[in-house]
Amino acid sequence: MSFLITCPTCGPRKGYEFRYGGEDKGPRPDEAGLTPEEWVEYVHMNRCVAGVSKEWWFHRDGCSAWFTIWRDTRTNLQVQVSNDGPEEQS
Amino acid sequence: MTRLSELPTLRIDPYEELRFEYDGRPLTGVAGDSVATAMFASGVRVFSRSLKYHRPRGLYSLDGECANAMMAVDGVPNAAAETTPLAAGMRVGPQNVRGSADHDRLGFLDMFDWAMPAGFYYRLMHKPAAMWPIAAEQIRKMAGLGEMEPDHRTVGRYTETYLNAEVCVVGGGPAGMRAALAAAQYGARVVLLERRPWLGGSFEHRLRSLDDGTPAYQRARDLAAAVKAADNIRVFARTALIGTYNDNLITAVQRGANGDDFDERYVEIRAASIVVATGCIERPLLFENNERPGVMQIGCAHRLAHTYGLLPGRTAVFSVGSDGGLECAADLADHGVAITCVADCRPEGHDPELVEALRQRNVPFLAGWVATAAHGRKKVRGVSLTALDGTGTRDDSCDVLVASAGRTPLAGPVTMAQGKLAYDSHTGCFLPASLPARLHVAGRLTGLEDPAAIETSGHGAGLAAAADCGRAVETELRECDERLGQLPGPAAGSGLVRSPTHGRKAFVCFDEDATVKNVRQAIDQGFDVPELIKRFASVGTGPGQGGLPGHNLPMLVAELRGMPPESASPTTMRAPMVPVSMATLAGSSHDMCKRTPVHDSQKLPGAIMRRIGAWRRVRYFSDDLLCRAEVRNVRTNVGMLDGSSLGKFRLWGPDALNALQRIYVSDMAKLRPGRVKYSAMCNDDGCVVDDGIVIKRADNEYYLTTSSGRAGQTVEWFRYHTRYDGWDFKMVNLTDALGVINLSGPNARTVLERVADARVSNDAFPFSGYREFTLLGRVPARVMRLGFVGELSYELHVPSSYMRAVWDGVAAAGTDLGIANFGVEAQNIMRMEKGHLIVGSESEQRTTLNDLGLGFLWSRNKPEARTVGSVALAQTLEQPDRLKLVGFRMDDPEHTPRDGSIVVDERIRGWVCVARNSDALSQAVGMALVDEPLSGEGTTLQIYEDGCGGNLATARVVPMPFYDPGGARIRM
Ligand SMILES: [Zn+2]
Repeated sequence: MSFLITCPTCGPRKGYEFRYGGEDKGPRPDEAGLTPEEWVEYVHMNRCVAGVSKEWWFHRDGCSAWFTIWRDTRTNLQVQVSNDGPEEQS
Repeated sequence: MTRLSELPTLRIDPYEELRFEYDGRPLTGVAGDSVATAMFASGVRVFSRSLKYHRPRGLYSLDGECANAMMAVDGVPNAAAETTPLAAGMRVGPQNVRGSADHDRLGFLDMFDWAMPAGFYYRLMHKPAAMWPIAAEQIRKMAGLGEMEPDHRTVGRYTETYLNAEVCVVGGGPAGMRAALAAAQYGARVVLLERRPWLGGSFEHRLRSLDDGTPAYQRARDLAAAVKAADNIRVFARTALIGTYNDNLITAVQRGANGDDFDERYVEIRAASIVVATGCIERPLLFENNERPGVMQIGCAHRLAHTYGLLPGRTAVFSVGSDGGLECAADLADHGVAITCVADCRPEGHDPELVEALRQRNVPFLAGWVATAAHGRKKVRGVSLTALDGTGTRDDSCDVLVASAGRTPLAGPVTMAQGKLAYDSHTGCFLPASLPARLHVAGRLTGLEDPAAIETSGHGAGLAAAADCGRAVETELRECDERLGQLPGPAAGSGLVRSPTHGRKAFVCFDEDATVKNVRQAIDQGFDVPELIKRFASVGTGPGQGGLPGHNLPMLVAELRGMPPESASPTTMRAPMVPVSMATLAGSSHDMCKRTPVHDSQKLPGAIMRRIGAWRRVRYFSDDLLCRAEVRNVRTNVGMLDGSSLGKFRLWGPDALNALQRIYVSDMAKLRPGRVKYSAMCNDDGCVVDDGIVIKRADNEYYLTTSSGRAGQTVEWFRYHTRYDGWDFKMVNLTDALGVINLSGPNARTVLERVADARVSNDAFPFSGYREFTLLGRVPARVMRLGFVGELSYELHVPSSYMRAVWDGVAAAGTDLGIANFGVEAQNIMRMEKGHLIVGSESEQRTTLNDLGLGFLWSRNKPEARTVGSVALAQTLEQPDRLKLVGFRMDDPEHTPRDGSIVVDERIRGWVCVARNSDALSQAVGMALVDEPLSGEGTTLQIYEDGCGGNLATARVVPMPFYDPGGARIRM
């Protein structure tokens, strides 16, 4: 968590100020017809890529915003990406 | 021992004596000594015994690079005597010895090395399995470092400081100082870290003149003076790096000096740019008995003389691989040490000036020679040398053997920040090959040895760092690079790792007693890469953190496996780079807690306060832990509780209702003004995370409460679960803005009538009602009628700033009735009697709403809301064998099991969440989470308590609530 995270409101701040909110998996699925497997897939399963991953962070000791960043899990550094980023590498 | 008292390089005052105690004997050092040098001056040569073999060990690096000079100092074990400044009255003792360091009764273990091959404790002592605990205990008794008394309390001032620097320079040698000066000259705010007490690095103790005729030590002091004079450089001396991390974060530990307000402090720095100028340590030469007391590195011998005025011995032999060794030999000859010979494992490439200096002093110089064995039992008495080309051998007697194979750049700060190293055959070192962004290297770390080149590279790194901070340095940086190009590049070094020897007693790692032979054994066992051999044979896993063996291990493994040196790569460096005491990491232990607005008025005589979550609150108002007087007064009269820690929130905006529908399991569209609604929040697994009250104050305007412990995460929770929706709602945490008084008991209404300006009769303000009115004629209050403790009860929410006045006003209004405070435990007992649960007490991570019997709160008629938890609640509704919440009554009314006791039959079937001896019911009752088959009314539960000796207590499942099951009292 030593790395810096750039909050869209506050700018670069140290990682300790934030809480990790998981990979960006998209909005909650419709409840109708959901099987337990599909639901667990959405809630608990992750891609865990060795590479650039889009993920949610919360500025707990700051502006209280949830936002997404791109992070390279191999270096544990935020990657600055324009236009909401490239396709995730896997 | 007399000191050299006239040297200009001295850092001691030879005339100011300091008395201290070593192993019960009074000894004397002088001001400026380290503990180790004072002991050395007093004649101590054997400083410790080694980990496994109890071999005698002496001074080696003088910089704390290995465990050789670890001592117990003033009761603190594992103090590095070489870097601990001597203070008058210190009590110093040896560790890991039976007897004394000189006469250790376990010294015979050295003969049994054949019984302790690499990884012996992994391989030999686990069969049969029962042997391991016995073996482990015996090994720990014999092998190990210091011992700490179990009741030892570390005293001292341990603090921390957090800095934001533009440029952080690690290493205060000539390169580091030039880097700091260059960056500072462009206005950058610079922090300079140096592990020794003074700046100067490799120049600091040396008399040799630089190109312009200035002695090196003088140049170091001139640069230090310039650094001190620069306004924008902060120097942290006695500060050792712990680690470097991503995005230029640096952590370090600083030892306090006279005048500092700390004994030790943790230093954390975030820098826009970093210059690493950590220089080199010396690479140990691997030969037989290469760690006999009297064998020491060049810097150790040189600095003993020049910094502390102590001659390392009378007769010295040198076996070195760098020009620094030649310089040291010439200097020691001048100070009166008889230099028998100087062997240099490099056949050529020596500094001709230094070769000439040795010749003038009649010191035999043996190019291409190396030591193969040191002799002498407890101290060096002699040495065998051999020519590397096989043309001869010789034996010499000596009492000091200065031995060093070359240099090892201290590149840990670079690799920990994700830089890469590569083996460089010219220098024989691993040098930085790629660097992370905004991190620069300079000085000897890059292989340079020429003093001008060292300084120029530092200057250039400082300029590059200034450029990282947005300073325009292009022209000067280009000129600097050109100048550096004209100066001598990295100095040639020896690739030699090990002298021609079998290696049975050639130690690769002193701390862990690992030899060349052990490394070979590990390879024979099938281990091939240094990272694995490091762990299996314990090479570099001791207090020295792999500094000394860091280079030799990968090179030795490559050599033994017949691989080219270029294929080797060093093992990963990790923080902490130096041993750091737990006290320093803990820092100053201030108990940071929140206080309610009426904290002072709660601290009555006899009140027992407890840390509860983030808050400090009164748990008991007397030493009766059953709180009988408090409970009785609420049950029969009226009491008041400071409930200000309750989570309180305002939620408003066009999409506020959407947010409520998403988060709460109930249908929040049914909220009506003037009424409170109790509901719960689940997570996506249907497990309960919180419960509380929601109030609709107006359209799109809500007020809600959460449990005290959850308040800090509520906004985060709402926003997380609505993060994809783009809804327009706002949320403010009012927990600290509003205080809460819980006014409970049959006489609560009488008291409230006296302070309220509204009608509060049972008709005008019924149970579950919500009203806003004024208290004491002027204080606006939000008042809800609840029944958590099972009596007529009001919660008064008032602005924190008025809280004290309202508290005192309510208390005064009830004085004639006998109103009294009640605390958190009395509330806990009463709510338990009423069967009301507390999330986290009667639930755990796996407990769903249905398990708690709260399924009725859940509305299944709002699928469009996509309520958090609804999918899992539906899918687990019929799941068998879940833990269910039940009430129970103990068969023995006098016995109450402790909270957390387990419910058992043949196996664990659940656990007691809460149980109390109820004064109101004259019974011992409680709540437990038990396997569903045990949850039926009338089932007998067997309860196992820690220390019950197998005597299980029995209880029977009974319906809840225990108290006032009809609920008449909360509606009276
Ligand atoms: Zn922010």
